[in-house]
Amino acid sequence: MADLLSHVLLVYACCTIASWYRPIPDRWIAVAMIGSILPDLNRITLLVANGTLEATLGIPFNVDAISTLGGSIVLAAIGAMVVRDRHRRTFAALFAGALSHLLVDGVKAYADGAAGAWLYPVTWVRHPTPSLYVSSDPAVLAVAVSVTLLVLAVDRYAIRTQ
Amino acid sequence: MRLARRVAIAAVLLTALGGLCVHYGATYDDNWPHPTGDQIQQEGLESFTGDRVLLFGEVRAVNGDAETITIHVVDDNDEVAAELEVRGVDDQVAPGGVVQVYGVLESGAVMDADRTVVVNRDPSATTYKLVTSVVGLLLAVGYFLQQWRFDVRGLAFEPRISDSELESEPETEPAEVRQRG
Repeated sequence: MADLLSHVLLVYACCTIASWYRPIPDRWIAVAMIGSILPDLNRITLLVANGTLEATLGIPFNVDAISTLGGSIVLAAIGAMVVRDRHRRTFAALFAGALSHLLVDGVKAYADGAAGAWLYPVTWVRHPTPSLYVSSDPAVLAVAVSVTLLVLAVDRYAIRTQ
Repeated sequence: MRLARRVAIAAVLLTALGGLCVHYGATYDDNWPHPTGDQIQQEGLESFTGDRVLLFGEVRAVNGDAETITIHVVDDNDEVAAELEVRGVDDQVAPGGVVQVYGVLESGAVMDADRTVVVNRDPSATTYKLVTSVVGLLLAVGYFLQQWRFDVRGLAFEPRISDSELESEPETEPAEVRQRG
């Protein structure tokens, strides 16, 4: 994963660009930003190891399933159930954010040149990755912040003044 | 949607998520093309001698003279499954860092790495990633709570500004419409 701040900023920037073509209320941008967090909920393993969960449940269990296409779809659907109405729109916004996260993660560096199996459960195939970055590289955040500031500047001084 | 129906659907979806985690956990080792920490723990690193493998490991020692590093590969319980000596790590790493190593496993728990990726250069890189991620989490949650509030009685989030209020804004004033919220 890239750091979560980069994911959140990139989703905000993408939503802002999308709003140039069709206005997107801020609240849906906020939901998409929450969506970008969903695939990283597997980091609960920082608190409880997969092995501990398996030993407790007595069956195989791996929360990394959350950080896949299938996990994101189910999590977005669960998220759509905690709003009063507009469930479909909430699902779409959450999933858009989560998909952005998975796509950005899909180009990070792997020493064998193939990305993680994030397309599960559709397929276990690992597509080639250009190995653009590692998550702990501050350059990732620098790019995300730069892109966001550029988009915000264009939005404020070019788009809104039209 | 009525509360009871939302709760019922959420329960079904949570069950599905649990099922996904179980299936993923049960089939991961068979589908991941490289030995996992659990497999190494069970079968021993020697079982994979001669194979070209990708392994993730925490750097335990850096031997500058021999240009090798020693890494620990861990299993799902975060217990050490194997200690491996790796040659050919170009980038500078320090103990406590995390690397990916890809190459042919030689006997005696040695690898001459074809390619390596330094995931975390040292423990400070891990801390950096954690801190920036917490900031990202707070940013997203903070912005969300600025736009939405939680209705305790209805057990649901609802927008702080209703659709009717948004729609009542005059369309002829783009600056107002772009308040969006």
